This record gives sequence, structure tokens and C-alpha cells, in this order.
Amino acid sequence: MKSRSNRRPKNAAQTAPSRSRLGNGFALLSRARQQAVLSVAKPAPLAASVTAFLSPAVVLQLLLFVAPMLIIAGYSVLSRGAYGGVESPWTIENYQRLLDPLYGVILLRSVWLAAVSTLLCLVLGFPLALFIARSGRRKNFYLQLVIMPFWTSFLIRTYAWLFLLRDTGLLNTVLQATGMISEPLPLLYNDGAVVLGLVYGYLPFMVLPLYATLERLDPSLLEAAADLGATPWVALWRIVLPLCRPGILAGAILVFIPCLGAYLTPDLMGGGKTIMIGNLVQNQFTTARDWPFGSAISLALMALVMLLLMGAARRKGLEGEGEPLL
Amino acid sequence: MNRALGLYAIAAYSFLHLPLLVLSVFSFNASRFTRWEGWSLKWYSAMAADAALMEAAANSVIIALAATVGATLVGTLCAYGLWKRRVAWLTGSLYLSLVSPEIVTGVALLAFYQWAFRFLDVQLGMHTVVLAHVSFSLAYVVVVVLSRLRTLDPVLEEAAMDLGATPWWAFYRVTLPQLLPGVAAAALLVFTISFDDYVITSLVAGVDSETLPMLIYSTARRGASPVLNAISTVLVVGLGGLILFAERLREA
Amino acid sequence: MKRRAFLALGAATTACTRDPRPRLNVFNWSDYIAPEVIPNFEREFGVKVRYGVYEVTEEMVARIWSGNSGWDVVFPSNAFVEPLREAGLLAPLDHARLPGLRNLEPTFQSPQWDPALAWCVPYMWGATGIVYQRSLHPAPRAWRDLWAAPLAGRMTMLDDPAEVLGACLKKLGFSVNATSPDELSAARQEAVRQKTVLRAYLNAEVRDQLIAGDLLAAQAWRLTAQQAIDAAPERLEFIFPEEGFPIYADCACILKESKRRELAHEFLNYLLRPEVAASTAVAMKTSTCNGTARPLLPAAVRDSPIYYPPAEVLARGEWFTPVPAAAQRLRDRLWTEIKSA
Repeated sequence: MKSRSNRRPKNAAQTAPSRSRLGNGFALLSRARQQAVLSVAKPAPLAASVTAFLSPAVVLQLLLFVAPMLIIAGYSVLSRGAYGGVESPWTIENYQRLLDPLYGVILLRSVWLAAVSTLLCLVLGFPLALFIARSGRRKNFYLQLVIMPFWTSFLIRTYAWLFLLRDTGLLNTVLQATGMISEPLPLLYNDGAVVLGLVYGYLPFMVLPLYATLERLDPSLLEAAADLGATPWVALWRIVLPLCRPGILAGAILVFIPCLGAYLTPDLMGGGKTIMIGNLVQNQFTTARDWPFGSAISLALMALVMLLLMGAARRKGLEGEGEPLL
Repeated sequence: MNRALGLYAIAAYSFLHLPLLVLSVFSFNASRFTRWEGWSLKWYSAMAADAALMEAAANSVIIALAATVGATLVGTLCAYGLWKRRVAWLTGSLYLSLVSPEIVTGVALLAFYQWAFRFLDVQLGMHTVVLAHVSFSLAYVVVVVLSRLRTLDPVLEEAAMDLGATPWWAFYRVTLPQLLPGVAAAALLVFTISFDDYVITSLVAGVDSETLPMLIYSTARRGASPVLNAISTVLVVGLGGLILFAERLREA
Repeated sequence: MKRRAFLALGAATTACTRDPRPRLNVFNWSDYIAPEVIPNFEREFGVKVRYGVYEVTEEMVARIWSGNSGWDVVFPSNAFVEPLREAGLLAPLDHARLPGLRNLEPTFQSPQWDPALAWCVPYMWGATGIVYQRSLHPAPRAWRDLWAAPLAGRMTMLDDPAEVLGACLKKLGFSVNATSPDELSAARQEAVRQKTVLRAYLNAEVRDQLIAGDLLAAQAWRLTAQQAIDAAPERLEFIFPEEGFPIYADCACILKESKRRELAHEFLNYLLRPEVAASTAVAMKTSTCNGTARPLLPAAVRDSPIYYPPAEVLARGEWFTPVPAAAQRLRDRLWTEIKSA
């Protein structure tokens, strides 16, 4: 190590000529630049090199996240061209349109469907998380079993439900064959199917944070409760559930946000009969070709998500629980 | 109560796994309908004979690999940088990109590309899809790698630097080896997210970049298709195998 | 690990290096070309065709809107030809390269949407009507029958604003191209009322559901209906509704952005060959705009009153025409209202 650092100044001296000689070789250039950074970094090693570590991400983030969002923001105050595209003049009309009850209804419906799905995820996910947290040595196995479907394609998981639920799908075929029903049940193309698709799609997002908090729960608390005469159910209700609030909050956010912006599920499971805010955005950018309005809805949706997160962060801060994600 | 929990867990796991299992079983059905008519591999041979399908699968693999390499590389460096120094705006923007609804990310990227193309003679295609995927998976890498970094002791690295190592050398020789499991997990996550993405891809894809999810979506919209059952099974088994393999690697 | 990933990536990219043959990118409706047409064209001209499909014109328009989509040939419905040309997206056709144009039926040699065929070549035409199960009594005769209570949950409409509004407008006795806010909002009310019996808004998917017997009746494009009927001829039937119905023609256009216009013309001209047009008309059950292809069709198709309805039925048809921007915006909004009702 020592000898390496002693050699470095010599290397740095060599970089200048080598760079000018082979200036067009990208690899060499970058290596030279790297060495230059290293040698410059000597007096203040951290500052310069941290910048170098961060710079690719900074460039990517500025170019492919910040700039697109700014463009959307710009479009949202422009007008729609006669056949599509964006045109001047500047206007706030697109935001005024958001106040239209029509879009309010769509937004409310999205919030409602997302909320119902989140609640169902919580109700279904909590006992499962509890089961995993209490399953001792096989915890990891059970946890993997929850995550497994998450790794497979979301589209395919939705398709699997289409396969089960259509009129000639497996469920109706079996029910009819066993004589339990004579006419196929209308299982698809309604809000229930949409919620089912959302719950199935995002359940793991709820189970994981719940499991994380349950796992950290001090078992002696429960023993104490039992000693004081609490039944397991009472202990669950009075002790476990309140202590799980950070996990519930995290899970609810992780489920609620993607459900709010959902677009594939209402489309495939809802049969195009209902539209959620995600479909509205997509329509504006494709079939309706109203980019300014689509941009305004997108920004409004982002604002909603941010408000939600800020609210949650404040709650979390008050309870002084959990570490930051980033 | 534990017995109730156990019973519930069986029901919950059935809910999670049965749909895919049933789909897989029916991919071996000789009939194209949901009546069982005996075992057959014909949907698999139909799948293998479908040139468009194979091309879409190849596109998906190429895009996912490229996005994985790009996002893992940039994201790991970024996580390390953020571990050393807090950069509020970058953290905020990554966080935001993590939670922004897919459809919003997609239309924003589409708008950005269309705007940029006014100045460049470029078309939508594989490159735009790869860039989009790197962009939306960057935050996932940073989160995963950073959570691993938080478990590390910075003292080791400081010691290396006290002994004369440059920051890069210290990162490369001291921190990175300890980080590798986190990096591998992040790469796996990016691969699966990228391989699976439909919403963003469909918006920024061009003539030559139809991916497997895009094909699956358009097939699913046209009705039941036993070939689709076969594709699903291959994907479930393939991705599942990849995860198991990765788990093995991590344990070894 | 990174190095290995790079190697794999390199191998994957070299594995699919570009085909050296000239390329043509064709974007067409799904189920709209006979399977052998593209391979035959590739062989005869020594080129490679990238063939993509879409389900509704708007989907295609959204893709090509930027003017650098990469597609060369697209097939908009006749009502979209003028807007696309206005937006500067279409390349003018060179008739010297399209000798096959005289194969078209006389009506399609100078259609109202492009009388000189300066921008488009009519390809296939069709109409929207009702397909239903013969077991259904009474059998639907008109759009208004799609509001009947016994259909509840067993009837679908197309997932296409122009078609749904068009059927509602016809039911009320208006034009499918109505622009007046009063007429349109009356149509919206009808569509909303219909949602109580509606199962879903579906396009191509109706075919499978009709064959399977899930649906009693559906608003459907003539060719989708025919595909279903041919799979279950004893059970399914198609009618052109009494109140009138929309007719459309899908036309081949060359995009202005195309850098391969010569080859694109060759392709258009190839599609105009009688035997090529006939093979698609037979395989995909479409009605061709190509007059010289008609004699090549099997008699059952050629004389079918559904493929080529008699004049008195056609007289009830109404061509879709371009809708002015203001009315279009109103229609978009009404469609959103219908969907969210």
C-alpha cells in the first residue's frame, strides 16, 4: 500500500502526454481521467472522489428524471395543437380542467379502489406476516414463498386470473361441471375483479414491511401480557397491532401508491368499463393526443403522491421509528 | 391461535401460488379450451416455432441485461457516494423516481425523448428503452446497496486510507468485496423489473424493440391463448430458477 | 460478475446483428394480411419486412405522431387520412410507381376522402354491425336492440369512441359524424344508459367470447364477426343494423419520414396485385377494395351479402369522416364520461 501511494505522482506525470497522444481512445481517456482525479484527490481525498462516484448518477438523474419532469411541467401550461402536439399560448386551462367534477370522480374512484385494495392487503397480509415471524427456523423459506410470485411477471400474474375468471375459465367450468351453478358467474369486468388483481399484485409489498416490524417485536412483551392474564387475541389487539404501526404505514404506502397509478389491471380485469387515473393519463398521451392535459394530470398525481409521503414521513418522525430508506 | 394462523397461511399461500400453478398445468393441456383432454407439449412447440415471440424474448433479454449492467454500475457508485456524503436533492429525486407512478415516469420519458429528437436525428428503439429502464431502476439499486452499506463499518476503509490507499482503491479493495451480495441482489432486482416492465416500455419502444411483455399484453387482449400459458410457465420457471440460483450463490 | 455480464451482452448483440437486406417497416391492423404475403414479398424483392400490428387507429397515430417513429407504411382508417396529411405526416404517392391502382374498384379510384388518391391506397373496407347468437330471441335487428334487458352481462360494445358514439347516434337517428354538442350529449346519455346491460368494451377479444358462447350479442367489425361466424357457423349470425351503420376503409399510406419510399411504393403496388389482395381477403375474411381480386374469390365469399352487401343495404351505411378539432375534443371528453359513469 505504502509503495503504491509513493508511485502515484510518477503515474500522474505520465498521464498528460499519454492522454494527448491517444486522445480519441475512450477507454484510455477515461483511465487517464481517473488517474488525474486520483492524483488531484490527494490533498482533499474525499470531496473530489465522492463527486466522481456520484457524477454518473447525477447525470442520469438530471437527464432522465429531472428533465422529463420539467418538460412535463412545461407542457402542462401549454395548449393542445389542432391535431395533437403542444402549442403556445401559455395557459392554466389544463389545471382548471382538473377541477371538473368528471375528473374529480375518476380521481376519487382511483383513490377508493386503491384504498380498498390497500385495506384488503393489510387484512390478508397481517396474519401471514405474523405466521412467518413466528415460524422459527423456516422463516426465510416462508418469506421466499411470499416473494416468489413477485419475481414473476406482473402481466402474467394478471393473465393467470383472466384464465381463472373468464366465463369459460377454470372456475366457472368447474362450478358448472359440478352442477353448483347453471350459468357462468360474471367474475370478470367489474370493480371486484380490479381490486382482486391489485391485491394479488401488491400483497407482497404489504407482507414484507409487516414482517420486518413483527420480527423485531420483543417477545418478552407478549410474555408479560400473558402473565398479566391477557389472552393471545387481546395481546395481539392491544400490543402487537399498535407496535406494528410503522410497518403498517410503510406497507400501506408501498401498496397504495402503485394501486393509485394502476393502469394495466383496470384495463385487463375491468374490461375497459371503468377507468382509473392511470388510464386517463395514458389516454391523453395516446388516443386523445392531449399532451398538455395529460401532463397536468401527471403532475397532479405526483403532487398527491408527494403529499401522501410527506404526511407519512411526519407521522413516522413523530413516532421516531424506522430508518430512512435512502 | 397458532393452529388458526397455520391454516390461514395455507390458504394465503394457495391464493398466492395456485393461479400460476394452474396456469402451468393447463399449458400441457391438449385442448385449446379449459377442458382437460390429456397431456401435450404442442403449445410449447408452437411457442418455439413463433419467430416474433422468440425475437421479442431476445429483445427483452438484451434490454434487461444492458439495463442491469448500467443501473447496477451507476447505482452502486452512487450509493457509495451517498454513504460518504448526503446530497439532499439527489436523494430526494431518487426517492421521488422510486415512488412516482409508472405511467407518469413513462409519459415524462416519452415527452422528453420527443423533445430531444427535435434536435437529434434519432428514433425510439432499443436504446431509448434501455435508457428508460436504467433510469427507473437506478433508485432500486441505490436503496438496496445503501442498506447493505449501512451494515458496514467505515473504520475499515478509513484504516486503508490511513495506510495510503486512494479513495478508489479503498473502495475497490475494501468496501466493494463486502458489498457484493448487496450488489448482486440489486442486479437481480433490476433484471427482473426490467424484464417485466410493460407500462414504461410500451410508451418509449420503437419499431425494433417489441419486448416479451408487450407481446404478452397484446396477445392477452386478443383473448385466451394456450401458447400464452406455455410462455407464462417458461417465464415462471425460468425466473424462479434464476432466483433460486442467486440464493445459492449468496449462501455459498 | 460485471465482466461476465458484459460478455453475455456482447454475445447477445452480435448474435442478432442486422440483416443486410434492405428493410421496410410496415405497421398494420392485427389480422389484416394473409400470412404468406409478407414472406412472399420478402422473397421476391430480396428485402426484409418488419411487420408490426395495432388494434385501433389512434394507437398507430400516437406512435407516428413525432415524425420519427421509424415506420414506413401505415394503414389508417379513411377518416384519419386527412388529419394525418394536414399534420404533414404523409408522403405524396407517385402514381407512376403504382400501376396497380387501376385494379381498384371504381368507387375506390376516387373516394371522397382523397379523390385523386394522392395520399393513400384504399386497402380493405368494412362496416360495423351486430353479431349475435341465433338462439337469441327475438334476434336483434337494430342498434336499439342492444339496450334490451335480457342481454345484461352478455353483450359487448367496441372499445372505440367513434364506434360507440356512432352506434348511439344512429340509434337516435343522427349522423355517425355528428359534431353538434346536443346530438353528441344525447348519444352520451344513451351510452351511459347502456352500461347497465354492458359486459365490457372489447375489440378483437369478442371473437373468442362469441365462439365460446359467453356473449349473446356484440357490436363488432364485420371482419371480426366473420372470423367468429366461420368458427361457429351454425350458431352465429351478423346483421347490418336497421338505423344505419358506419362504413370505413383502411388505406395504405407512406409516411413522410420514410427513407425507403421507393420500396414502400413497391410494397403498396404488390398489395394491389389481384392474387395478393384476394389471398388476404380470403384468409382474413376482409372485404377488399380491389376489383380485380373479386373474381378470384371463392363464390361463397364473392356472393356473400355480408362480405359485399347489396346496394340497398349499403345505402344505409355512412362513411366515417374527419371530425373538426373542437368536436373531437368534446367527443374525447364524452368518452371519458361514458367510461367513468
